Amino acid sequence: MKELIANALEASLAAGATYADARVVHTTEEHLSARNGLVDGISTSESIGIGVRVVAAGAWGFAATSELGHDAIAETARLAVAIAKASALTLRTPVHLSALQAYVDRWEGPCGIDPFGVSFEDKLAVLLAADEALRAEAAVKIAKGSLDFIRVDKAFGSTSGSYIEQRYTESAAGITAYAIADGEVLPRSYPNSHGGQAVQGGWEAILALDLPGNAPRVAEQAAALVSAAPCPPTTTTLIIDSSQIALQVHESIGHPTELDRVLGDEAAFAGTSFLTLEDLGTLRYGSEHVTITSDATIPGSLGSFGYDDEGVPAQRDFIVTEGLFTGFQSSRESAPAIGRESNGCMRADGWNRIPLVRMTTLSLEPGGWSLPDLIADTDDGIYLETNNSWSIDDRRLNFQFACEIGWEIKNGELGRMIKNPNYTGITPQFWNSCDAVCSRDHWQVWGIPNCGKGEPMQVAHVAHGAAPARFRDVQVGVGR
Amino acid sequence: MTLSAEQARELARRTVSLTQADAAEALVSSEDGALTRFADNRIHQNVAENDTSVSVRAVIGKCTGVASTNRLDDGSLAACCERAVAAARMAPEDPDFPGLPAPVAVTTPDRVHPSVSAFNAEARAHAAAAIIEQSAERGLTAAGTVSATEYTVAVANSEGVDVGMSVTTVRSTVLSMSPKGGSGWASHLSGTADDFAPEALGDEAVLLAMRSEGAIALDPGVYTVVLAPEAVSDILDFLGYLGFGAKSYAEKSSFLSGNIGEQLLSPFISITDDATCDETLGLTFDFEGMPKLRTPLVEAGVACEPVTDSYWASKLGMRNSGHALPAPNSYGPMTMNLQIAAGDARIEDMIGAVKHGVYVTRFHYVNVEDPIRAVLTGMTRDGTFMIENGRLAMPVKNLRFTQSAVEALNAVEAVTRKRVLIGPDEGGANLAPALLLSKWEFTGQTR
Repeated sequence: MKELIANALEASLAAGATYADARVVHTTEEHLSARNGLVDGISTSESIGIGVRVVAAGAWGFAATSELGHDAIAETARLAVAIAKASALTLRTPVHLSALQAYVDRWEGPCGIDPFGVSFEDKLAVLLAADEALRAEAAVKIAKGSLDFIRVDKAFGSTSGSYIEQRYTESAAGITAYAIADGEVLPRSYPNSHGGQAVQGGWEAILALDLPGNAPRVAEQAAALVSAAPCPPTTTTLIIDSSQIALQVHESIGHPTELDRVLGDEAAFAGTSFLTLEDLGTLRYGSEHVTITSDATIPGSLGSFGYDDEGVPAQRDFIVTEGLFTGFQSSRESAPAIGRESNGCMRADGWNRIPLVRMTTLSLEPGGWSLPDLIADTDDGIYLETNNSWSIDDRRLNFQFACEIGWEIKNGELGRMIKNPNYTGITPQFWNSCDAVCSRDHWQVWGIPNCGKGEPMQVAHVAHGAAPARFRDVQVGVGR
Repeated sequence: MTLSAEQARELARRTVSLTQADAAEALVSSEDGALTRFADNRIHQNVAENDTSVSVRAVIGKCTGVASTNRLDDGSLAACCERAVAAARMAPEDPDFPGLPAPVAVTTPDRVHPSVSAFNAEARAHAAAAIIEQSAERGLTAAGTVSATEYTVAVANSEGVDVGMSVTTVRSTVLSMSPKGGSGWASHLSGTADDFAPEALGDEAVLLAMRSEGAIALDPGVYTVVLAPEAVSDILDFLGYLGFGAKSYAEKSSFLSGNIGEQLLSPFISITDDATCDETLGLTFDFEGMPKLRTPLVEAGVACEPVTDSYWASKLGMRNSGHALPAPNSYGPMTMNLQIAAGDARIEDMIGAVKHGVYVTRFHYVNVEDPIRAVLTGMTRDGTFMIENGRLAMPVKNLRFTQSAVEALNAVEAVTRKRVLIGPDEGGANLAPALLLSKWEFTGQTR
């Protein structure tokens, strides 16, 4: 890989680049899925290529190819420079990058049992056992499960002298039971919806989930949802489980605190942010119970790495500190806008994409409550689990989430089950209504392998640590 | 350089021949893509990529396995084929697997325009600059994209399927934002660079942005609405994803399930999937190499049969309409070229017919809350206006809706004659008119 990168950097400089970096990324993937007793997919894939990012004439250019011959790489580098020179047509201020020392290093994420060394037979045995257990419940009309494994080997080099090799392995699994009755589809998932849980790790992470052992409970809850009460349209207290808090953090804190969004880079597609540069250090984002960290150093998290795709070391930073907005997620180009250096959030989803500001592990730090105590402390409200749907406006203010399941809380106890619960709110108002967060005993890092951003679209693998939390005066049962 | 259709077909045939299985299918995808992105009145991202990949489906008895690679040397291709075979050997039997489809004649119109390969980085930058100038000279800021893509897809299988086709597209999107809070949107999608007029596109977005300055609050509730084509295209996408495919139909999670032959939507609404019509873009065969047949899905409001692929056509006893996605495919067959039949209205007449309602330019971040009723939630953006006494009135702050798409299309009262091609620049596109709906539920509003 080192030779390929050296070739790209040399050709870039020869063509007129004032800065260049190059990434060779080799990704191998394996996917297995089962549905109603049948295996509806066993597939493997691999993709390798090189992406060359340059500054020339003060502007950015990028070109990528899967042809890894010497001439093809040099031609790709020259194309990147030509693109940069074309970009300069609208240049107002030359690209300025925050300071960064050169690193020569290698980093590898955790992996116990290599999932690519485990047989298809063993993997299918787990999936099909869970599938059978889901279908044991008559009300479950669709049972599905999936396993996904990814290994990424990548090398980064820059004309600043960095050369970094990284390897990580991701493993993901999940099951869902769908009860279909009376014109309704009622899903119930484990350990999370939308493909389940995803971590950096190996086969041991899948075994620890015990999909077959949890399937009967999941199926039973799906069946019970058929006769559950609808979510009442009202304003009430919510206690939200950690997986849904993770998505709430993602959409209403993660994206709006990406500095490139605040600067307008994503305006035409994903949108902008309600935040301004002047809000830094002054805006009360949430209550004193809300502290949010951006941390790329958590072992086993989908948001962890040694260095980001600009060669910036992994860091832990405070985005919200006891309710006060204290930091953006940034890059080498965006950080100077707030007078700081990059806090290492630039990642690309492959060799053929430029890095963008992406979340690492953006977490709601734990509080001090136990979940039973928090429920006991709540006179009237709803407890929600597991995301089913999400939507938020282009400035990340007005959101609406639906969950798979809920339970009424009456006089400090969980009551009857609620189906199709949803809730809506305005971001700062919602986070300022948070009056309790559960303790580290209830805190968990959730992998989110489907974060879309950018044009051409990129899908990032990020993560969020979260514990159940309580919010007051939230509107629920919207459109019900 | 992207492979030509003939080169891609040759690669697909060679891959099939390398696969030691009872039957095999190869799908070749080759693409040259370039996208110039601008924001805050300057080009800030400008990218190009070139890639070719091969996906192999190996069949042993009624078991299948899939492997793909973008390493095209003989050794890597052979290894990929072996991985597909190994996966097939371990896969449990699917008793309903009908085998790979036999060849059927496919018409492949010429959808490659030479102007697209000439639309290079410099030309795209000049187009972006022309768009930006429309906003900058009037004190607004522009963001958006100018992209050019050429892609080739070929499919071959051991039963004799051997098809390939290349497609070019030019796409541009423009968001113009005024310092007074207004925002406007315009987009362009075509198979050629020759009909792309960046100045006009930039101007359209600017005028809408200036028109939408000073937005006011509007109480949520049920309103008569006029949905512009961009908003209608979003609804079509979700109807296709949720319910127009045979898999969701068979699993009874589709709005079509139990409703074929029933009056499901307004008599003004006829929906067809048609990849072959002259006005659309994309491939005319699916990812099994079968011809994409023109498929009526709703005729004058009456629900018709869903689209199929070889598996679901065999399983349900329907014709194969040619809507397979690449294997392995957990979604089932999918529409790619939806269109609503043109009506006879003009959008001015639609607005003129509304005493008190809302005009929506486009939606943002739409998602599903209930798949069978196709209940969607999302926001409006970039030009939402009140309609008062037949005229566009004050702009309103972006609204949240929570609304069944099926119920909404049952409330259509008029369809425009003019339709607009909208969609991603790969695989297909929607042909969408504007619609007048007697009721649409807004459930919230942003600040």
